[in-house]
Amino acid sequence: MERQCAPVGRVGTSTYKAVALNDLPVGRAGRVLGILAERELKRRLLEMGFCNNVRVEVVRKAPLGDPIEYRLRGYHLSLRAEQAHCISIRPD
Amino acid sequence: MAICCEASDSTLPLTTGALTIALAGNPNSGKTTIFNALTGMRQKVGNYPGITVERKVGRCRLPEGVDAHIIDLPGAYSLISRSPDEVVAMEVLRGLRPDTPKPDAVIVVVDASNLQRNLYLVSQIIELGTPMVIALNMMDVAMRRGVAILPAELEAELGIPVIPVVGHKREGIAELKAAILKARIAPMPDWPLPQSMREELTVVGGALAIIDSAEGLECEAAGLKRATPQEAAHPNQLRLDRYRAVAERLLVGDRAGDLTAIANRDPVGSVLSSAHERMTQDGMDPMQVEIEAHYRWIELISARCLHDVDELAAMGNEPPSLLSHEPPARKPTVSERVDMVLVHRVWGLLIFALIMGSLFVSIFWLATPIMHAMESAVAWLGHLVTGEMDDGPLKALLSNGVFDGVGAVVVFVPQIAMLFLFLSILEDSGYLARAAFLMDRLLARVGLHGKSFIPLLSSFACAIPGIMATRTIENRRERLATILIAPFMSCSARLPVYLLLIGVFFAQFSAWTRAGIMLGLYGMGIVVAAGCAWIFKKSLLKGAATAFILELPTYKFPQFSQVSRQVVVNTWEFLRRAGTIIFALSMLMWAMAYYPRLPEAQVQKIQATARTNALSAPATSNLLGAAQLEHSFAGRLGHAIEPAIRPLGYDWKIGVGLIGAFAAREVFVSTIAITYAVGDNEDALPDAMRHDTYSARYGPPAGRPIWTPLVAISVLIWFVLAMQCMSTLAVVRRETSGWRWPLFMLVYMNTLAYTLCLLLYQIGSRV
Repeated sequence: MERQCAPVGRVGTSTYKAVALNDLPVGRAGRVLGILAERELKRRLLEMGFCNNVRVEVVRKAPLGDPIEYRLRGYHLSLRAEQAHCISIRPD
Repeated sequence: MAICCEASDSTLPLTTGALTIALAGNPNSGKTTIFNALTGMRQKVGNYPGITVERKVGRCRLPEGVDAHIIDLPGAYSLISRSPDEVVAMEVLRGLRPDTPKPDAVIVVVDASNLQRNLYLVSQIIELGTPMVIALNMMDVAMRRGVAILPAELEAELGIPVIPVVGHKREGIAELKAAILKARIAPMPDWPLPQSMREELTVVGGALAIIDSAEGLECEAAGLKRATPQEAAHPNQLRLDRYRAVAERLLVGDRAGDLTAIANRDPVGSVLSSAHERMTQDGMDPMQVEIEAHYRWIELISARCLHDVDELAAMGNEPPSLLSHEPPARKPTVSERVDMVLVHRVWGLLIFALIMGSLFVSIFWLATPIMHAMESAVAWLGHLVTGEMDDGPLKALLSNGVFDGVGAVVVFVPQIAMLFLFLSILEDSGYLARAAFLMDRLLARVGLHGKSFIPLLSSFACAIPGIMATRTIENRRERLATILIAPFMSCSARLPVYLLLIGVFFAQFSAWTRAGIMLGLYGMGIVVAAGCAWIFKKSLLKGAATAFILELPTYKFPQFSQVSRQVVVNTWEFLRRAGTIIFALSMLMWAMAYYPRLPEAQVQKIQATARTNALSAPATSNLLGAAQLEHSFAGRLGHAIEPAIRPLGYDWKIGVGLIGAFAAREVFVSTIAITYAVGDNEDALPDAMRHDTYSARYGPPAGRPIWTPLVAISVLIWFVLAMQCMSTLAVVRRETSGWRWPLFMLVYMNTLAYTLCLLLYQIGSRV
């Protein structure tokens, strides 16, 4: 399953660089651009709230680097890096 | 926001007979606390037939003398996903399960501190067209975060009763009971779908309408059969909306229940696929569009209903879809501050090690005096009952069969109860999720889940609670892998065996070395477990990596009533499942060792020999005991298997011990004690063992001492690896709903044990 983020895009008149969620550094936030994953995972992520334009914040990484804790819509959840990689983000 | 159907005034039919009410909600929303508050002690817990999902039903008295059966559905984030828990929730709500009646109404527990995601489930239940009530829980947590929700506003938005509840303080329960009777079918919201999808829905909905009028379309799923008073008044418009609702379900790929049949019908199938194609060409995924439309609706509602406690909401002119409902400069919540320590890369791990270590240690140390006390109590009771009896089968049956059997079971209870206590506290407080978060990296490498850690740790006390604790692992494969390797964590029943053998055959080494050997045995179990898990990941349990999505719930203070209830229920379940088997097998072992009786002639002979050698009375009875054991079925079985176990260095006496260990592993020691004619005097056992030699019956090395350090290690490794605990297999059968996996466990573990011990002994004895 190809998992790539479009490197550049446009919103309004500003260009931005899209980043995979697992590449977003700790403490930074961004808005979801899209999910590129197999169907079940994509559904799961959408249902947990990772819709277009939702604000996601990176809270911390586990001591061993994986999984990663995020905050969105007022709650905390953690994802493994390989799944976070499927979500592309426009950093704030 | 347009409402396409008016709110239905249909309140619940007050039929004779109890109402069926379903209690739905996200995991961690406090649903169980509310269930307990509604039903008190009148609950029944079991399993849905054929699957391992827990089924909880309770009775509740509502106002106006109405009785209700409340079904506590498994926690669900969505009704569409594939996890077994969510499938069951969906099936019960849609009335698709033959074993459960379709609910007359649904109470949805909504976590006020987590409104948006909780409303997603609400939006799905609204689509089912069942009368609903919302229990707005954890209002206190929301307040502490500076967020206030006015239930009246939410009620106005949704069109169904919204009752504020604080579950753990039991506030709002009475109002909730009254509100159930006023449950209403929510008006179907006008989901903000893009225009192109609306057009597709009209097309598909129209096709369904045509088929229905021509051939009839049975669709219980979207309540097509049920006409509300409004629909009866305006049949065409409102029924078209119902058809569009079904069309929406079909277009996003929902095939539960009767939707499959509808989707497969001729014209419907092709209409659906062309609609799908058109949308894909436009770059739209119907599933994604639908979920996002639901969330946009949710964001609008939460924008209107969530208020900052300090200043009432000034939503400003930001477009609703960009709205996040917290003010930008936000104070971290208490939970978040606690997490800064508990999940910290250094402190977090240290505290984790401390917590897990103390769990481990206390299970062994704290429980031991209680266990001794219970053992003595049972023994005392046994003497009391049988003291006055004459020697004979009945006395033996009672004191050695029944009371020993009871003793074998009872000895577990303090440890098990303590273990369940810790597990319950860890889970209820929310720390379990953090532990899983910390450990996931290590465990995922071998195909396990972060949540596997605590079940595996628990298995060091006893694998049965550990295996029961795997219920928290949602993913089937990772759960199964955890269950399959749990027995490799050396349980406490093996400890007497380890202590005996290490103490006897490595006595010449220092205490540190002996401790090291013990640790080595535990370590070996862990290494083998990791290896097997990895092999399973690559072979048997191979499959796509599953979605690891772990919610980190707000920390909660565990409630005493809930925790104690869980401890009692789980300990009772242990007694019922494992206890009965241990008891039954103990009795069987007793019978196998007691019969057939030593012939009188031989008894006389032994007594005569004892008299000539001037042995004391206890020594004589020990000799008789040993002879009896050899003569019995158990002894004969031991002799029978000796050829099979001789290559491992074992003789028939060890064989008898191993047979006894099938009831419970620590029975090995007491059985060996009898065969070596030391009876209850286990201190004399080491000497007796050292002087024992192989019999000539099965060939070399006849006359050589049996118990060499090599053989001791071989027996130790056998105990690390072999699956001998029948009650564990029984629990695995229940947790995996079938005999396939327990049998697999029995075969693979014992084959592994046999092969390794064989190699070890054969190579070791030639070196």
